[in-house]
Amino acid sequence: MFRKANRQEITILKRAFDKWGVFDFFKEKSLLIKEEDHRVREVYLLSSALETIILSGQPYHAGLKIGELKKNFLLSMQGADIIGRISNKFPYVIVNELAEKLILYGRNVLGQSIVEMTENLNENEVLLLLNINREPIGIGRTKFSGKYLLQKDKSTVATLTDAGHYLRSECQ
Amino acid sequence: MKTLIFPSTPESIRLASLYSYDEWIVNRFMQYIPDVKTFLERMDRHPQRYIRTNTLKINSKDLKTKLLSKGFELRDTAFEDVIAVEKSSFPIGATIEYLLGYYYIQDLSSCIAVEALDVAKNQTILDMASAPGGKTTFIAQKMQNSGCIIALEPNLRRMRSILYNIARCGVINTCVYKMDGRHVSDLNIKFDRVLLDAPCSGEGVIAKDIKRKTNHTPEDLEYCVLIQTSLIEAAIKVVKPGGLLVYSTCSFAPEENENIIDSLSKGFDIEIEPLQYGADGLISFGDLHFHQELKNTRRFYPHIHNTLGFYIAKIRVKS
Repeated sequence: MFRKANRQEITILKRAFDKWGVFDFFKEKSLLIKEEDHRVREVYLLSSALETIILSGQPYHAGLKIGELKKNFLLSMQGADIIGRISNKFPYVIVNELAEKLILYGRNVLGQSIVEMTENLNENEVLLLLNINREPIGIGRTKFSGKYLLQKDKSTVATLTDAGHYLRSECQ
Repeated sequence: MKTLIFPSTPESIRLASLYSYDEWIVNRFMQYIPDVKTFLERMDRHPQRYIRTNTLKINSKDLKTKLLSKGFELRDTAFEDVIAVEKSSFPIGATIEYLLGYYYIQDLSSCIAVEALDVAKNQTILDMASAPGGKTTFIAQKMQNSGCIIALEPNLRRMRSILYNIARCGVINTCVYKMDGRHVSDLNIKFDRVLLDAPCSGEGVIAKDIKRKTNHTPEDLEYCVLIQTSLIEAAIKVVKPGGLLVYSTCSFAPEENENIIDSLSKGFDIEIEPLQYGADGLISFGDLHFHQELKNTRRFYPHIHNTLGFYIAKIRVKS
């Protein structure tokens, strides 16, 4: 069921957008919440003309899922794709070409694959996985902090989702 | 309506045997496909591959630069966003550019169907049989993600593919209903544009799926005609006066194409508008005779147009 975000949800979203430097981008966009059985609250970005139709018609799917609301706002791959292209405030690591291929198979990131990263990353921090062209190819979570992320032969960033996920699931 | 079957001839038997088709299919092809021997030869080769740039994410120039650097050989087409792939060093559905939604693998003929819709920003558009989403996502990019597209797909399994492609291509102006197009009036919406890429016998894609040379029957074709008739009648009723309906199939069969449009023109106030590309629609087939306006519809033949087999009719709804 699609519905408008309530005040609390809007506050969480605005806080996240502000932190990631994309507040202005989302200011003029329509966002709706899709909630199933009070369990998962998915956030959808859509054109303003679509919003009216959805609220009256309740389709199976609408717009682009950019993330999920829990205590915080968690980005989906499509949300990461948008934010990674318009802001550099979201924590990130840039990986080399070999790691790009491995990430697209769902593998984690080895320390020596990281060619650049946000300063002062913490352990357990969610970040964008970017390739050398700074294109978002996945979302990861750090297993270490700061310079320990660069440890050789160690998986230092866990891949949470990636751009190859759907194709792999279809192949299976 | 009954599928037209023609008496066997030595030539139809010979060609059917030579190219491994059921005889009745080749015999029908001989009635309306120009240079049928070249056509049958072409259907035994891989079809030309095309990709369509997703301009919601990248422009064609930058995409070409990326693909050329990976060893692709590309060729421009009459459409800026559509590129022919002559050679690729990777499967074209497994590159990072594909996964990031920079392009969609889509036949040129399918792109021409969307071109025929004359899409503009902020319109309300219906895609009646939308999976896997190639035309839907192309319409979205032509609208620059504005306005709204209603996409229908009755089959949940096929729904997965359209949802993936909408997400991959970054489309935000589309909603998908799990609905059979025949019930579209239940939505109570009138549309500026309607695209009906109708389920069909698939004769036009034999080059991609050679099983179709022998695995369909005249009765299958008749079943498709029934569905197509009810779908197009449902479609035309939801087009705004002055709006456009584009009907397409990936079949050569006149029963699924000109015959459907001819019947429609007898019951509704419509005009069949000309299209720039493709070969003229038929005005007769066996003992069937269609209105002269049917010439304005378009047929696409693999051996002539280097596309999959396709049919497009552009219909203006007058009242």
